[in-house]
Amino acid sequence: MDRTQFQKLYLDYERGRIDRRAFLKASGLGLAAAVLAACAPGAGASTKPTAGTSSDWAPPKGVNLGDTLNLTTWPNYHDQATLDKFTELTGVSIALTIFGSNEEMLAQLQAGSTGWDVLVPTNYTFETYGQLGLLEVLDLSKIPNFVSSRYEARFLEPAHYPAGSSDLLGISKDWGTTGYVVNTKNATKPMTSWKDFFDMAQGELSGKVMIHDYQLTSIGNALKYHGFSFNSVDPNELAKAEETLLAAKPHLFAISSDYQPPMRAGDAWVAMAWTGDGVQLNRDIPDIKYIIGSEGGEIWSDFFAVIAGAPHRDAAYAFLDYMAVPKVMAADAAFHGYPIVDSAGIDLLPAEFKNNPIIYPDEKLLSPLEFGAAVTLTDQNRADLWNRVKSA
Amino acid sequence: MTAGTLAPKVPATTRRRRIPNPGLGADRVFRAHSGLVFLFLYVPIGLVVLFSFTAGEHAGEMRGLSLRWYGAAFENQFVTRALSSSLQVGLLTAVLSTTFGTIAALALQRVRPRLRAAYDTLTYIAIVIPGIVIGIASLVFFVNVFGFLNPLLAGVWPSELGEAPKLAPGLQTIVGAHTVFAMALVIVLVRARLAGMDRTLGEASADLFATPWRTFRQITLPQLSPAILASFLLSFTFSFDEYVITSFVKGNVTTLPIYVFSSIRRPPVKPDINAIATVILAFTLLMLLSGWLIYRRGARRAGPPSAATDATADV
Amino acid sequence: MTALLLVPTTAWYLFLLVVPLGILIVFSLGTRTDVGGYAPGLTLQNYADLPTRWPAFQNTLTLALIGTVLCALVAYPLAYYLATRAGQKRTVLLILVILPFWTSFLVRTYAWLQILGANGIPSLLQTLGVEPRPVFLNTHAAVLLGIVYNYLPLMVFPLYVSLERLDKRLIEASKDLGANRLRTFFQVTLPLTAPGLVSGALLVFIPMMGEYIIPSILGGGKIYFVGNALVDLYLQSRNWPLGSAAAIGLIGLVVLTATVYLRLTRVSSQRDVSLL
Repeated sequence: MDRTQFQKLYLDYERGRIDRRAFLKASGLGLAAAVLAACAPGAGASTKPTAGTSSDWAPPKGVNLGDTLNLTTWPNYHDQATLDKFTELTGVSIALTIFGSNEEMLAQLQAGSTGWDVLVPTNYTFETYGQLGLLEVLDLSKIPNFVSSRYEARFLEPAHYPAGSSDLLGISKDWGTTGYVVNTKNATKPMTSWKDFFDMAQGELSGKVMIHDYQLTSIGNALKYHGFSFNSVDPNELAKAEETLLAAKPHLFAISSDYQPPMRAGDAWVAMAWTGDGVQLNRDIPDIKYIIGSEGGEIWSDFFAVIAGAPHRDAAYAFLDYMAVPKVMAADAAFHGYPIVDSAGIDLLPAEFKNNPIIYPDEKLLSPLEFGAAVTLTDQNRADLWNRVKSA
Repeated sequence: MTAGTLAPKVPATTRRRRIPNPGLGADRVFRAHSGLVFLFLYVPIGLVVLFSFTAGEHAGEMRGLSLRWYGAAFENQFVTRALSSSLQVGLLTAVLSTTFGTIAALALQRVRPRLRAAYDTLTYIAIVIPGIVIGIASLVFFVNVFGFLNPLLAGVWPSELGEAPKLAPGLQTIVGAHTVFAMALVIVLVRARLAGMDRTLGEASADLFATPWRTFRQITLPQLSPAILASFLLSFTFSFDEYVITSFVKGNVTTLPIYVFSSIRRPPVKPDINAIATVILAFTLLMLLSGWLIYRRGARRAGPPSAATDATADV
Repeated sequence: MTALLLVPTTAWYLFLLVVPLGILIVFSLGTRTDVGGYAPGLTLQNYADLPTRWPAFQNTLTLALIGTVLCALVAYPLAYYLATRAGQKRTVLLILVILPFWTSFLVRTYAWLQILGANGIPSLLQTLGVEPRPVFLNTHAAVLLGIVYNYLPLMVFPLYVSLERLDKRLIEASKDLGANRLRTFFQVTLPLTAPGLVSGALLVFIPMMGEYIIPSILGGGKIYFVGNALVDLYLQSRNWPLGSAAAIGLIGLVVLTATVYLRLTRVSSQRDVSLL
């Protein structure tokens, strides 16, 4: 056999796809087995692809990871290069399923049998997921690269379920804020608040504004417009928020959490957005700025979690371990623009990242922001309100 | 054209000079309208095919010609798996629905009118019910049934055979849900054909002492075959391209429409979608062409078409 | 023997039609749990809440109706041309009409997304001097266009069949009796092809009411059909009881419409071997 065939065979052995006997038989190295075993690390290194992060992480030995991983996540949330590197190292192809709200993810999981492996839930969902038993309590021995002491507590803490216990349902991916992006070349009047957002949407920016297809943020920010809490479930306050949303709706360009394409094409000038999208858009089109409403809004943290009964559980853990490597997480963050939680990873970030006001906003803008609450996600009034607004 | 023969007798010279052919002006309008309609129908398809040959990165830009996306599409394991799933689902649905639907249509001929009306109502509901409704309802049904059966199965399963099988939504549930509509379609088509069929041939066959099975095989079946074939094709096409019902009951499985929809929802879209669509279109064209040629050859051999074999024109 | 032949169909109808619909009805009488989903109950509150979704129903009915009328207007001249004037080419042209059905429906709708989107016709219009760049996406018009595009072939076929069967001598007789082309059309052709029109309208209007993909892709979350409201109730708000009630409402609407149409065509449907 030639060199490439041998390399492929060896990689398969490394990945646990074929066992030792099969490998030795196929490669015809039965007699030299002992010698080979002794030389394995050296031979392995020379056959592995030489690229940046490969030496920082290796797939677990002897574990068959299969060839697919189903990752359910948010728009524009991962660097394709990071995912491709994982595939290169393990042979596992990653299939992405994209949603724009936690509710849609929850709804599918509640309906059952989705075939998903890894989920990217937000901080307020763990109570619900824990209650319904939809996520697996993480076996941290399978994620050796995750060192919880390096993670900022306020971002990691929501993943403990029940609250206060040591069981973790997820490891931190990143955190961020919910504000809005403005294409200042077209929308020339300065905007700083949710009042500006909703008022101008009905006025001079009619037909150019987008809101999330997501009850929590859209209703939440409409509540902020009136000065109420982002997490309010009070029926009177909700009624006022509904009024605002209904008044704005005919003037909106679209109701969607996939706002990057219209913003890039110039069909939309203003869109309710998350931190990282602000970073990505601003990087490519400097006229697009990210605004956090002065009245307040949402601060959130996201996690990687393994779904209970995942069909590719081993690959899921391998992926989590891979993403927990500070170098990998930092490289990913450099692309997607969301601030990460691991201090070791933060140290690896370039200076312009750490100084970017979109990623690390001013304290006076950050302090009024609220973390979403579990009840906000599941409250029936809010859910029905949203459905009514969309049906109108 | 027959109108011309009854037109008033005007000397040929005068007609040529003074009365323009009344059909020509209207003809142009009709031709223009039809031309526009075909343009309307085919411009989007044309664009899809065109962009499948782009050497660029996105399905919206045309940057040079290349076959790279055809290669990329068929090397993509998600695509090939989705294609394979869609083919399996389509074939199974077509086979099941055509078989069950045909025998049901035959049986319904001899059943009491009241019972027949009941089946007709169910068939009618199966056809008009929107896909989302049946999709959601089927999902709820499956989840509840499996949730009930799986513990039972785990309880009675002998341990020597390893772990008990776990029922879950997948290929079988997709086929099951598709077959409801497809079977109803088959029943409607075959019954329509049966209604229009010449009964006397069957009676003659019986008079000549042929067994019911022989009558069926040699008289009824040949007359029904165009309808059965058409039903098979329609069932397959429906199932292969079905998205809504599938999206609810698919569980872990990805069919081609599911893959396409999730790609569309994540712009920028890669042109491998265009490549797949073009291949399917070409394949369909090929099938239609060969079907038509076979039909033409068969018709020539069988002589002028009789009323019985004219069924395909109706469909 | 006959009973045996009916077993598979009966099993399918029973387990995959009747029972699921039964479950929907049961769900529609229940309540939503705190986290979403179904909690058993026996209340008609969900049906009482349906009117709050009336705009979605209204939207659906209006757009489906306009869509059907547009389809008829576009399809009739085409069918007329194919049936009476196309001559030898008619089979080929008929196949060309139905061929789009065999490209993926999703891909075709996505093609319209491109054409109506920022880089498509609006960009073209902009280079021709139309400022500001017009926006076609996420409007009722875009959804209407998508609907007509997808359902047009379904309208052409029954019309074609009906026109093809028209006894041409009746047209000639009308002309002989002095009627001009317009009058002939309205008093002879149109009434005689009415069954085909009704058939086509049925084939088109009913599925249009259950549409959900086209509004979702071309509507940008702003144009809502009952189907979209339904899906969101299940897969976003997770209010299964209300979603089930809406589903029953939609079925009721569809069955009602279909029944009314069928009653209208009862007399002529026996002669007309159309797809229904």
